[in-house]
Amino acid sequence: MAGIYLHVPFCIKKCDYCDFVSFPSMEKAEEYFCALRREIELVREENRDRKFNTVFFGGGTPSALPPYYIGQITELIGRCFDISVDEATIECNPGTVDIEKLTAYRKAGFNRISIGVQSFDDGLLRGIGRIHTAKETEEAVRLARKAGFDNINVDLMYGLPGQTGEMYIQSIERAARLDVEHISAYSLILEEGTRLYDRVQQGETALPDDDTVYDMHRIGMEKLMSLGYRRYEISNYAKPGFECKHNLNYWNVGEYLGLGLNASSALKKDGKLLRFANSPVMSEYIADINNGVLPRRDIEEISTQEEMFEWAMLGLRKIEGVDRAAFYGRFGVDFETGFDKAVNRLKAMGWLETDERHIRLTRRGLDMQNSALMEFMEGE
Amino acid sequence: MAYSRELIRNFCIIAHIDHGKSTLADRMMELTDTVAMRDMEAQMLDTMDIERERGITIKATAVRMFYTHTDGQKYMLNLIDTPGHVDFTYEVSRSLAACEGAVLVVDATQGIEAQTLANVYLALDNDLEIVPVVNKIDLPSAQPDFVIKEIEDVIGLPAEDAPLISAKNGINIDQVLAKIVETVPPPFGDTDAPLQALIFDSIYDNYKGALSYVRVKSGTVKPGMRIRYMATGREFDVTEVGVFTPSLVPTDSLSAGEVGYISASIKSVADTKVGDTITDANNPAKEALPGYKQANPMVFCGIYPADGADYESLRDALDKLVLNDASLSYEPETSMALGFGFRCGFLGLLHMEIIQERLEREFDLDLVTTSPSVIYKVKRTDGEEIWIDNPSNLPPVTEIEYMEEPMVEAHIMTPSEYVGTIMELCQEKRGIFRDMTYIEETRVNIKYELPLNEIIYDFFDQLKSRSRGYASFDYELKEYVKSDLVKLDFLLNGDMCDALSTIVHRDKAYGKGRAVAEKLQEVIPRQQFEIPIQAAIGGKIIARETVRAVRKDVLAKCYGGDITRKKKLLEKQKEGKKRMRQIGTVSLPSDAFMSVLRIN
Repeated sequence: MAGIYLHVPFCIKKCDYCDFVSFPSMEKAEEYFCALRREIELVREENRDRKFNTVFFGGGTPSALPPYYIGQITELIGRCFDISVDEATIECNPGTVDIEKLTAYRKAGFNRISIGVQSFDDGLLRGIGRIHTAKETEEAVRLARKAGFDNINVDLMYGLPGQTGEMYIQSIERAARLDVEHISAYSLILEEGTRLYDRVQQGETALPDDDTVYDMHRIGMEKLMSLGYRRYEISNYAKPGFECKHNLNYWNVGEYLGLGLNASSALKKDGKLLRFANSPVMSEYIADINNGVLPRRDIEEISTQEEMFEWAMLGLRKIEGVDRAAFYGRFGVDFETGFDKAVNRLKAMGWLETDERHIRLTRRGLDMQNSALMEFMEGE
Repeated sequence: MAYSRELIRNFCIIAHIDHGKSTLADRMMELTDTVAMRDMEAQMLDTMDIERERGITIKATAVRMFYTHTDGQKYMLNLIDTPGHVDFTYEVSRSLAACEGAVLVVDATQGIEAQTLANVYLALDNDLEIVPVVNKIDLPSAQPDFVIKEIEDVIGLPAEDAPLISAKNGINIDQVLAKIVETVPPPFGDTDAPLQALIFDSIYDNYKGALSYVRVKSGTVKPGMRIRYMATGREFDVTEVGVFTPSLVPTDSLSAGEVGYISASIKSVADTKVGDTITDANNPAKEALPGYKQANPMVFCGIYPADGADYESLRDALDKLVLNDASLSYEPETSMALGFGFRCGFLGLLHMEIIQERLEREFDLDLVTTSPSVIYKVKRTDGEEIWIDNPSNLPPVTEIEYMEEPMVEAHIMTPSEYVGTIMELCQEKRGIFRDMTYIEETRVNIKYELPLNEIIYDFFDQLKSRSRGYASFDYELKEYVKSDLVKLDFLLNGDMCDALSTIVHRDKAYGKGRAVAEKLQEVIPRQQFEIPIQAAIGGKIIARETVRAVRKDVLAKCYGGDITRKKKLLEKQKEGKKRMRQIGTVSLPSDAFMSVLRIN
């Protein structure tokens, strides 16, 4: 089973920490969606025999646009691909939703909504250039329920400029009070080329130090778990049964078709995994499609060895870890045999543990996942 | 054709760094049409990039000029340029021995400096006539009268008619040439006696091999002759003799009184040692000219390629440098922390810096160098005496009866207002006060006995900064004395880092141990585990710092679009890790390691 990702590169305003491809103007929306529809037609044949079970509209801010753009696309992919929807998610900004939009999304087939909340502290939100308030978040969740969404995610962030552990815990508590099914808790990553990066460089603002951020992560995790959210991935928590299927597919090194500007895909061809991404340049993307050419760039055939590493890199993000049987099924070799040196070293360090079904990182191993992965890269 | 000896003048120029020696030499060549103007590159004699940049002369060189004096005669002036630094005192003394006179250049704004004085005394020891010259008279701060008086008072030379010049602007250069002809005696020596030629330098020429730069004291040398190097006993056939214009120009012969080069298909400069005497193998001189001694390295350090793969390139580079520099020594050594490298010996700190710089520039090598060490004398409990130039080779404390370290006699000349701070510095460096004399009311000559291992670190820099650049300094090796020395080691996570080990006086061990441990704590990146840093003397820990463990090293999120990018990030992280130096279980970036070695 594969997933479909659709990228909507438009926002009301770009957030200070964001380094995704998106435009703070709807000017190109008409032209873009026209191209996106053509792209779907162009890849239809290639994906004829592929079965899809998840759809994810991400951005940017899909909810920044009138809902008929989205509806047209869902209608089209329903016609072009073999989809039996288990999960269809749309990302929203609390400042951009109303009951009409949300109802339209439900009608278009979405059964999950992911709300970019980040924090319930309005001061912090302003500090990172978000357009919405905590009140709007609460209203958005209420409306989503009203529209019939029974699977809601909110994204939260820690490590924001000026944020303390208490502020972060308060945000978690307020999200939990809304009884959302899923919470993603990310630490802020300062990316070069963002406004926030420049401001930090100029000394206009400062991020909490590493130790503080680490403490936030620990207390946040404890809090979320005590509130009934199970941690199932490094940054993701869900009530039982509400784990995000679309994202799990990424971590299980599954296939996915990415459509739209800069969208990435991983598709198997003759048993080999290919990774590629569409052009990140709007004019290129549109021109290619208008010429009847797919705007794919950097097509890369993943070698068996590399794919095995990806299984470790992605699979070990999951708390349950890598499924031994699935790994053996894919490669015809046991994970522990394929990575005997790494497994033994990490076990000795107390970073990795195994049972009959899974190979997983311990808490310490999860905190240090990058360092742990270095071991799997040895000899590559 | 031998030039009439009456018309030859052999001379050198003595000056402090920056007092204008090379510029004066350039002007003399210009004035005598020795180098066509268009070929002039500022400071012709300093041929190495480093020499020109630093404004110092490292290798001695020579040039022959023709000057028509007011008496109508055409004189041959041989200028032998000498290195201007304390590390090369021995070379200076050999250059001086090749001359009959010395031009003493004194900066009209600065006066006499310690190094100048030391070289003047060397020149007087060699019975040279001194021609004082006051330079930079065109500068607003010039005080020529004051400087002339200083020359008279301090050196005891009449200087009232010393030429007042500006080498930079070519003022009164002809007066200097005239003075040389009038003051410096012509060389003497018997052309018919057995050959005696003093080697004052040797260089390696890619085509001709090792060349001996000589002053012929007696006899004649010409191509075809079989010559013997009296110190080494080795014999060669002369293929070519010639003079410097300053490029090498072959001549038929070199006779008593003349200065030039001898080429004899010699493979290494080690066979043509500065200070040695060349004689005719078939008609040898009874004895060698006096004063030859082996130039021994005084300062040692380990030199390692930053990338282990460059070890062979480093060896090749050292092989090439030593062809031209017999005073450089090196032998392979291994360090647990740094891998394969070489233990190198130098005449002094400047020599060391120059070699490091040449390796990096001329051979494009990336180096890691350990902190410099001197040679210690160790008396073992079993009675054996050994010399230690590498702290790692020091026997265990229980096997050491006592240790001795080299002491130098240092002369420091300074304006009197800095005497206090300079004496404080010398005291800090374990100096023993010997003497202080007022050269004049405002200038003082201080004499201290100092351990060499204290001056090879930052003594010179400190002296300069404490005196705002006005103090100058010269030293000579005195003797070895017993000293309470200890080996200071550093342990990272329990593993000894041999490259950081150093031999220090017990009184200095604590301060140094703490300083290095603190620096290590600052530069070692946090790692997966806590890293204790310890400074130790023998088994005793004298300082301790801790680098706390990294608590979190993980990508916050990783979804579809990110996978390729995140994989690249991890690869980069992995690459970075590979470039780290591994010391036991601890990884350290190379530049961090270097910064610690520097304060060490």
